[in-house]
Amino acid sequence: MEETTVIASSSFDCGIGSWDLKTGNEQLRFKQCASPSHGLTAVGEKFLAASQLRNASGSSGSVFFWSWNKPQVEVRSFPVESITALTANSEGTYIVGGGASGDIFIWEVATGKLLKKWHAHYVSVTCLVFSGDDSLLVSGSQDGSVRVWSLIRLFDDQQRQHQERTLYEHKFDEHTMAVNDIVIDYGGCNALIVSASKDQTCKVWSLSQGKLLRSIIFPSKINALALDPGGSVFYAGGGDGNIYIGALNSKSDYATQFLGSVSDPSKAITCLAYCADGNLLISGSEGGVICVWNPRSGQPVRSFTFGHGKGPVNNIQVVRKTIVGNANKAQSSWKRNVSSLPPPLEKYERKGDDTMDGIVIVDPPLSSDVPVYSSYRSADLINEQVKELEQQGSAATEIEMERLKLEYKKSIQMNDQWQKNYENLLQVVMEEELNGGSN
Amino acid sequence: MVRSKAPGKKQQKKGVDFKKIKRKLGRKLPPPKNATNTEIKSQAIVLPEQSVGADKSGFATSKKGLTLDELLKQTSHHNAKVRKNALHGIKDLLEHNPAELQSLKYAIVDKLRERLSDDDKSVRDTFYLLFDSKIFPSCVEDNQGPMVSRLMPYIFKAMAESSVEVRLMAFKFFHLVVKHYPPTFSLYADKILENYKDIIQKNHFYVQDRSKLNVALSGLAHCLSLLPCDESDTESHKENEPLLAYEQDAANESARFAHVSGRLKEIVGVLINCFQDFIPLIHTPGGFDEKSFSCLHHILCSIGYAIKFSIRMHVQRQNMWLPAYEDDTLMLLDQDIAPLISKKLLGSFPLNPENNLSGKVDERYFILNSVLTEIFLEVSDWSHLHTDLCNRFLVFIENTLLDKVTRSHRQRKPIPKPIYEKTLLALLPSIPKLILRMDSDWRENLLQAFTSTFNDCKPESPLTLACISVVRNVIIPNGDIHYLSESDPTVTNYQRVWVNKLPSLLNQLGDKHPLSSQAVLKLLLDLGRVGCLNASPTFEEDIINFFNPCSQGEGDVSGGAFARLPREAQDLALAFLYYFTINNFSSPLLESIVSCCLNPQLEPAVLCRIVEVVHDAYSAGYIQITDHFSFLTTLVARFKVVQEEGQFSMECKEQETHRGTLKALAELVCLRLSKMGDGSLVLQILEKVLLEQINLKPWFDNGCAILRIICTLDSKPTSLSESSIATLSEYLPGYLIDIVKCIPEDKENSSFYIQTCLYYLIPCYFMFERSSKLTEEVLKRMQSIVSENTKALESVQDRESGRNSLNLIQCVVSVVLLMHNDVKVRKIISSSKSEIDLILQDVISLQSSGSTSLTVEGKHMMKMAGERLKIASNSLVR
Repeated sequence: MEETTVIASSSFDCGIGSWDLKTGNEQLRFKQCASPSHGLTAVGEKFLAASQLRNASGSSGSVFFWSWNKPQVEVRSFPVESITALTANSEGTYIVGGGASGDIFIWEVATGKLLKKWHAHYVSVTCLVFSGDDSLLVSGSQDGSVRVWSLIRLFDDQQRQHQERTLYEHKFDEHTMAVNDIVIDYGGCNALIVSASKDQTCKVWSLSQGKLLRSIIFPSKINALALDPGGSVFYAGGGDGNIYIGALNSKSDYATQFLGSVSDPSKAITCLAYCADGNLLISGSEGGVICVWNPRSGQPVRSFTFGHGKGPVNNIQVVRKTIVGNANKAQSSWKRNVSSLPPPLEKYERKGDDTMDGIVIVDPPLSSDVPVYSSYRSADLINEQVKELEQQGSAATEIEMERLKLEYKKSIQMNDQWQKNYENLLQVVMEEELNGGSN
Repeated sequence: MVRSKAPGKKQQKKGVDFKKIKRKLGRKLPPPKNATNTEIKSQAIVLPEQSVGADKSGFATSKKGLTLDELLKQTSHHNAKVRKNALHGIKDLLEHNPAELQSLKYAIVDKLRERLSDDDKSVRDTFYLLFDSKIFPSCVEDNQGPMVSRLMPYIFKAMAESSVEVRLMAFKFFHLVVKHYPPTFSLYADKILENYKDIIQKNHFYVQDRSKLNVALSGLAHCLSLLPCDESDTESHKENEPLLAYEQDAANESARFAHVSGRLKEIVGVLINCFQDFIPLIHTPGGFDEKSFSCLHHILCSIGYAIKFSIRMHVQRQNMWLPAYEDDTLMLLDQDIAPLISKKLLGSFPLNPENNLSGKVDERYFILNSVLTEIFLEVSDWSHLHTDLCNRFLVFIENTLLDKVTRSHRQRKPIPKPIYEKTLLALLPSIPKLILRMDSDWRENLLQAFTSTFNDCKPESPLTLACISVVRNVIIPNGDIHYLSESDPTVTNYQRVWVNKLPSLLNQLGDKHPLSSQAVLKLLLDLGRVGCLNASPTFEEDIINFFNPCSQGEGDVSGGAFARLPREAQDLALAFLYYFTINNFSSPLLESIVSCCLNPQLEPAVLCRIVEVVHDAYSAGYIQITDHFSFLTTLVARFKVVQEEGQFSMECKEQETHRGTLKALAELVCLRLSKMGDGSLVLQILEKVLLEQINLKPWFDNGCAILRIICTLDSKPTSLSESSIATLSEYLPGYLIDIVKCIPEDKENSSFYIQTCLYYLIPCYFMFERSSKLTEEVLKRMQSIVSENTKALESVQDRESGRNSLNLIQCVVSVVLLMHNDVKVRKIISSSKSEIDLILQDVISLQSSGSTSLTVEGKHMMKMAGERLKIASNSLVR
C-alpha cells in the first residue's frame, strides 16, 4: 500500500508539516526546522533531511535528520559552511548539498562520509536537482549560472587530468540574475531543463546539445517551477502570486496564460510540486498557505495552512511512502528504523589511504523487510567484505557456489516458463487477430 | 475505224511497194505509255510577309521596331555586328518593358546563354553588360536557382574553351552570377574550384597582362569568402525550430563543403606559386602598379579564406572524437602544403619596398602585410615557425596596435584611417589568444599596445565593440572568469585598468551605440555577478552618472544614457545594478537610482523592474531598511505627473500624464511596504517622513499615493499621532476640493468620473472611518472656508475674486454631497452633522443676502447647492 504525503517547511522556525494528500489530514509535525528554499528533502523513503538557516551567520552550517515517525530531531550534522540547497537521489543513497560559497558536497548516506566536495559556482548555490535517472546533477546559483554535472565523471579523476577537461558537462550562463528553480524532464540524457530566474524569464535548455533553446519572459520573477507530466507545459509560480503556464515549445517570447492565483495577491508563490498520482499541483505561498490545484480545471481542490499563516512556506515535496503490513509490523519496523538512522554527515573529506577510487552501487533490495542500509556499500566496505569472505575459507565459498548454481537452475526454468507463456500468448493473439480479420 | 481496215487488207493482197499512209488532220497521237506526269499540284502558296510591313501593335519593340522574338533570332545571326545589335536591342527593349522580362525570363536566358562563348569580343562584352545591368538586378526578388542552373552548363563549357579570352569572360560572368546568387558556389563548388585552379595554373600565358589574371583571382577570392568559417554563420537561423524535432544534417552548411577540402589544398598550392611569381615584382624599385597589387591582394585573401576553412573543418572533425583538443594548426593542414605556407608565403614577410615611395604604394604594402599577418595568426602555433619570423609578425602587430606603422621616415603620410581600422578589426579577435599564449615579454608588449588601442578608440568606431570583446575574452576565456586571479601580475594590472575604463566608456557611448553598450553591460554583469568588482571611486562615480547625469545640470531633463537605451540593454543594466548594489552600495548610488526612476522618459515596466531590483537587494540584506524606506517614499512623493491646464486632466490618456504609472507605482510601493513587516511598526517609522511630505502640500496625485500608503499600513482605530492628524486635517480639505475641481460640471454623474474620483477619495474615507476626530476637523475646516468666503463675498466688490470664492463654496458643497452619496461615509459624517448644517446656513444666508457681488448665475448656483445640501442634511438625521 502506498501513501502520498506532502511535506513542507518554512524559513521561520515552524518545523516541517506533513499532510496526507488524499485525505488532507495533517500528520506528524516535525519540530525545530527553519530551512532555506530548496533546503528540505526526503531521503528516499527513509527519513527527512533539512539544512538549517539558524547558523547562517556562524562559520558552520547544520543539517538535521528526522525519522518519519518521530517529531524530534534525531541526527544533527554540521558541515563546514551553511548549506543553501539540499537534495538526495531518488533511492536515498546520497545527499548532495550546495554551500553558500558555491561549493557542492556529496555525502554517502549509509556512512555519512563526505565523498567529494568541489567548487561549482562563484557564489552561493540556490538549487540542486537530480536528473530522472540520478546520473546527472543540475545546479543553479545566485549568479545566474546553471551547471550540469555527471556524477560518474566527477569521480573520474584520472580521465579528467588526462584530458584537461572541466568538471562540468555543460554550463548555461544566459540568465542575468539568480536562478530560483530548475526542473528536468524525463528524457534521460536528451532531457530538457527548464530554469526559472529572478530576471523574469524561464529558459529551456537542451541537455544533449548543451544550448539554450527558448527564453520565455514572464510578467514577474519566477520563484518556483513544476513540470507537467505530459512534458509540453510547465507551471511557474510568480512573485506576484500567480501560477503561470509556460509552454516548452512556445513560439512567442512571452507567457501570458495563467492557471490561477492565491487569494492574497501580495503573497508570492514560493514553491510548487506536482503529484503525478492524481494529477495535482501543489503550491506554497509567502502567506503560509499550501494550496492543492487541479491543473486541468485550474481550480483549487483544497488548502492547508502552515505555521499559523505567518511563516512563508518555502519548500514542498511530495513523498510516496510504502506502508509496511499491519500496525504491529509497522511498530517493529519503526523500532528498527530508529536504530538505523545513518550517522551524521562528515565535515571534511577523508584523506589518506582509506580514500577509495570509485563507488559501487548495489541494486536495492526487493523487500522492505531487509535492513535497508546493509545493501548500499561503497568500495572500501565491499573490499572489507571480500577480505572477510576470503578469510572464511573455501567452505563458505562452496556453499555459496551451490546456492548460486541452484539459483541459476531456477532462473533457467523460469526463463523457459516465460518463453512458453509468451508463445501461448502469441498464439492466442494471432488466432484472435485472424478471427477478427475474418469476421 | 472500219474503213481503215479495209484498205489495209487490199494492200497486202496487191503487194504495194510503198505504203501510202493517209493521215487525217485533227487526229492526235495517243500519249506514250512511258510519259511523265508533269502536272503541278499545290494546295496554296503563302508568301512570307515583309517584317517591315507587319502589324506590331501590342508587341513590345525595341527602338528599331523589332520585337523580342526577332531580336532573339538575330542573336544567332552569322554576322557579329547583327548579334551585337540584337543584344543592344534586347537591353533597350527590357529597359522600356520590364514586365516582358518577368514573363519571358527563362526563354530569354535559354536563348542568350549561347552567346557566352561567342567568338566576337564585343558581343561577349555586350552580353555581360546586358546581364549585369538588366537581367540579374531585376530578378533579385524571385528564386534565381532555376535560372542559374540553366546558365551553369554553358559557363562550364566556356570555361573549358580553348580561347583564353572566352575563358576569362566565362570566369568574369561566373563572378557576376555568384555576386547575385551566392548559393551558386556551394552547389557547384568542386567543379568551380577545379576550373579556377586550371586557369591560375596556366598563368604564364598571360602573366604580362595582370588585369586578365585579376579577373579570375577576384572571382576566386569572392567564392572562397563564401566558405562558412564561423560557427555563428550556420547556427544563427535555427532560433525558432520546434523542440525535439528531427535534425537534418543535410541542412548543415559546412557539410556541403566537406568534400572540397582536397581541392582547396591544391588551390592553395597553386596560389602560393602564383604569389612566388610576383615576388621579383615586389622588390623592384618602383614598387608595383594597381593591377599587380589587386592580384596579390586577391591571392593572399584567397589563401587566407581557404586556410581558415580547412582548419575549421579539421577542428570540427576532431571535436567528434576529442573535444576541446587543440593541436598544432599548421600541422593539421596537408603535409605538402604546410612547408609551402611557412617558407614561401610567410617567409616573405614583411613585404617592403626597396626605396621609399609615395603614400599610395606604402598603403598597398601595409594592406598586403596585414593580410599576411592574418594568415600567420590563423595557421600558427608559432612554435613551429622560426622565432625570428614570429618576432617579425609580432612587431608588426604591436606597431599596428600602437598605430605607428613604418613611420620611420618623417615625410610619410600615415595610413588612411579606414584601412587602418579594417586591419585592426581583422587582427583584434586573435589578440586574446596571443596574450594567453605568448611568453611574458611579448605578453607585456602586446598588453601595452592593446591598452593604447583600447584607450584611443572612439565610441563611434566599430573598433570599440571589437576591443570590448577582446577584453571579455582575456578576462573570461571559455566562460571561466580569470579576473584578478591570474598568476601573472602584469595581466592582472592591465585587466584592472580595462575594467575601470568600462563605466566611463559606457557614458561616452551614450545611447547612440546600443550594441557596444550592451556588450559593456554584459561584461560588467558577468564580473558583477561573481562578485569580482572591486570598484574604485571613479568607477562608482561613472556608474552613478550612467544612471543619472542630472546631477551636473539642473535643467537637464533628458536623463542618463540608461533611460534612453533599448529595453534589452536596460534589462542587462538592471541585473548589473542588482549585483553592483550588493557589492558596493552607497547612498549617492541610491540617489541616482531615484532620480533615474523619476525620469519621465522611463517606461513604466522598467520603473517597476527597478523597484523590484532594489527590493531584492534590500531583502537580501544589502540595503539598510531606512535607505529602502526613503527610496520608496521619495519615489511616491516626487514622481511627476504631467499637470494639465484646467480640470480636464482626468480625461487625458493615462500614458501621456503618467498618472497610470504613478498609480501602479503606488500600488507596488504599498505592496513592498506591507511585505516588509508589521504594518503598525512600519507606519511608526514612516509616519514622520510621510507627514512631512504631506506638509509640503504635494499635487493631489502624489498626495493620494502617500495617503494610500498610510491607509495600507494603518489599522482601525488609527495609530497616527495627534500632530499627524492635525497635519492631515490641514491638507485634506484642499485635497478634496482639488479632486472635485477636476470633475467637469456636466459629467458629474458619468460612471467614469465616479470611478476615478473614488480612487482618490477612498484613502480619505478609510481615514475618516479610522478617526472620527479627523472627520470632524476636516468638516470644520471646510465649514470655515465656506464662512470665510461668504464674508468675503459680502464685502468684496471685485468680480474675479468673487467668482473664485463662489467656486470654492460650490466645491465644498460638492465634496459634502460626494461623501454623502457613499452609504458608508454617510454614516461616518452623520456624527458631525452640525458642521454640515453650518455650511448649509452659510449657503442659505448667502443666497438670500442681497450682496451686489453675486450675479444671477451665482445666486442660482447657490440656490441649487443649498437645496441639495438641505436634502442631504435631512437624510443624515434619519
